[in-house]
Amino acid sequence: MSPKESAATPAAAGADAAAVSGGIRPPSYLVDEESMPLPFCPGCGHTTVTHALDRALQMLGRPPERVVVVTDIGCVGLTDRHFRTNAFHGLHGRSITYASGIKLADPDLTVVVVMGDGGAGIGGAHLLAAARRNIGITVVLANNFNYGMTGGQLSCTTPTGALTATCHLGNLEAPLDLMGTLRPSRPSFLARTSVFSDDLASLIAQGLNAEGFALLDVWDLCVAYYASQNKLTRATIEGMMADLEMPAGIHYQGTRPEFAHAYRDLYHPTDTADEEGMCLSPPELGLAPVAESALPARTGILIAGAAGQKIRSLATLLGAGAIMSGLYATQKDDYPITVQTGHSAAEVILSPEPITYTGSEDPDIVLILSREGRDRIQKKLLGLRPEARVYVEESLGNIDTPARVIPLDLRGAAKSVHRLAIGAVGAGVILGREGLYPQEAFEEAAHRLQKERVSETNIAGLREGVGLR
Amino acid sequence: MIEFLEGNDAVVRAALDAGCTFFAGYPITPATSILTGMMRALPERGGVAVQCEDEIASIGVCIGAAMTGQKVLTATSGPGMSLYSENLGLAQMGETPLVIVDVQRQGPATGSATKGADGDILFLRWGTSGGLPLIVLSPESVEECYTLTRAAFDLAERFRTPVILASQTEVGLTRERVDLEAAAVACPPPLSRALAPADQPYAPHAFSHPAEVGPLSPIGGSHLVRYTTSMHDERAFLTSDPEVIARMMEHLERKILDHTDEIALVDYDPQDGATTLLLAYGVVARSAREAAARVRAQGGRVSLLVLKTLFPVPESAIRRALLGMERVVVPEMNLGQYAQVVRAHAAGAQVTSVGQMNTELLSPDTIIREGGLL
Repeated sequence: MSPKESAATPAAAGADAAAVSGGIRPPSYLVDEESMPLPFCPGCGHTTVTHALDRALQMLGRPPERVVVVTDIGCVGLTDRHFRTNAFHGLHGRSITYASGIKLADPDLTVVVVMGDGGAGIGGAHLLAAARRNIGITVVLANNFNYGMTGGQLSCTTPTGALTATCHLGNLEAPLDLMGTLRPSRPSFLARTSVFSDDLASLIAQGLNAEGFALLDVWDLCVAYYASQNKLTRATIEGMMADLEMPAGIHYQGTRPEFAHAYRDLYHPTDTADEEGMCLSPPELGLAPVAESALPARTGILIAGAAGQKIRSLATLLGAGAIMSGLYATQKDDYPITVQTGHSAAEVILSPEPITYTGSEDPDIVLILSREGRDRIQKKLLGLRPEARVYVEESLGNIDTPARVIPLDLRGAAKSVHRLAIGAVGAGVILGREGLYPQEAFEEAAHRLQKERVSETNIAGLREGVGLR
Repeated sequence: MIEFLEGNDAVVRAALDAGCTFFAGYPITPATSILTGMMRALPERGGVAVQCEDEIASIGVCIGAAMTGQKVLTATSGPGMSLYSENLGLAQMGETPLVIVDVQRQGPATGSATKGADGDILFLRWGTSGGLPLIVLSPESVEECYTLTRAAFDLAERFRTPVILASQTEVGLTRERVDLEAAAVACPPPLSRALAPADQPYAPHAFSHPAEVGPLSPIGGSHLVRYTTSMHDERAFLTSDPEVIARMMEHLERKILDHTDEIALVDYDPQDGATTLLLAYGVVARSAREAAARVRAQGGRVSLLVLKTLFPVPESAIRRALLGMERVVVPEMNLGQYAQVVRAHAAGAQVTSVGQMNTELLSPDTIIREGGLL
């Protein structure tokens, strides 16, 4: 871009508005400017943007109580206090998140975001997400190619080669093309214009009328910094658009549904009036006792297997069966974040008394179903008391522990039921040999907590285990 | 009804029972099951639950929704709390009711994603600029994940403030026998939002006394509502008047600290003749209870104070429990964070920190040994 002339005053939409106040125009959404003048530098484009937004809101004509102006940080973020609407002035770059929350909660509000190119840079992820969701907010982005509030620094839209306080020999970065970036998300409305354009207010009004996400990239003039250093004027701004291959005009008008409404259409039941009886699907019957246990003292059980052996759900059934026998139970799982590989272990504590400490310092019963599980608990095995029992799948060979080791053909016993029933077989071995609580309680827990097909497999496995010698 | 549930399940149940209508969050171990639980449960009740692009957006979306009148919840773990930090300050500044669950995992940074810790405790108190108070509660059991989440929603409404539930893996993802229906009966009915009268002028931050909290009016309702991150007067208009600013800051501090005793939730189990106090919170309190029981069973003497409210610091309860104590033992799954707080209130008693950061649940034996309890 070649700097040519000195800064000129942008088209004063506000002056225009004042001149035409002949009675047909609806009342302004701005507070009286005599008592509260706009705070911008003389010639700053933000004044034009503010007046244009006011005119657009007038075209829309919604009650001020149903309009929210959400502003970002930056000079243009000073506008919200001048609007006779609801106003929300939040953190730098996050205006789109507040606006999204407001729209999601009350979808029939008109929600406008007024932000600058600074906010677009720091909050870029929110811009992308809002456009992808097509959430019904209208973003008026006053793009003046620098951070005016902090002294004219580089922004994400500063053209290559331009001078700012933080690229005093020229900008090496490429400017962000907001239209090109957001268009693939197919939001409701995307347009680029400038503060010198006669159609500014009507384009904003089109954005406000769009159902979903709308963004107006309004090229703006920072007279204090960018325009003076880079000689940007009304005459050169069009040339700048041409040079950067970022033309003015409507860039996209999409028909995707608006997110907050679409969410309600898809996720809300057709009859939302009846909120009674809705709850987080607890099991129909709970785990009220169906049997009695004679377990005399707190008993720690450690189950160590491999991913895919259904260790966690087995441990839950073991605990639930205990609860259904009048016992207390806790369960803690241990598995890597890559859940389909490696070890899977669970600690279950059963007790006739409420359980305070939920750790298993010293398990009484250990069930080892796989190599991965054995390796995971190696240290614990070494620290077991001699009277502890270790039930182990026999193919795993010797187990290094002072406790009593009982090798069993768990895999073989499971084969007659299902490959994945090895955990249930193990549970059957424990219940059959340790007398923790009646087997019927475990079976009833499976019926109550699991789908029929799964519970049947587990019950069959359990029975194999109980009978295994 | 007796169930076998995890702490995170209980948080979801409590939020629904408290009248929570809005949730936004981002997946993170070990808090994800709160996100998925709310996404399943809220829409069928007419509420909204969304996954956001990051944690900054999650809390931002929640703050926006809260100001339209929704009761909101978000949940994360340490790394997400770091990203919530700036917006935590916004929620304080705007006096936004907001409940945050931090299911702590061992940090710093990514740390051990699936392992428990209490490493965020001081960060939760001092986690945003300005140093103004907020409320932090810490559950020791699945049942308390329910009751303290219920309490958190009430406190958030009453004081128009963010309230943080300092959970952690060892309680959030531990399953235990619990009867939430019975727990619910013991909770007061959910506190409805105090709303400004529609026929009178509304100022978002009006109060007649600095320790008082004024009502809210929802965005989109009968008043024009203003909200701002910047220093403001009672109408939420920017101000640079030092007197007005001082008055607003005094309000943000005193509306919580003047009510410390009402916010304080503790469980005190004194023993006659004891000169050592075991002071614990969160899931480690269970190890402390077991440690105290073992010490007493062996003829030792120890008193026990379990804090459910961590901030504002329940000073009166701590002072009372400290009477006649020579020593305070503070076990926690960090390297002595709350011990520092206790030290500031210890009034001559020696404070022994039993800190552990090895990803394992602090055991009763370790507390007895390191705390010199026998």
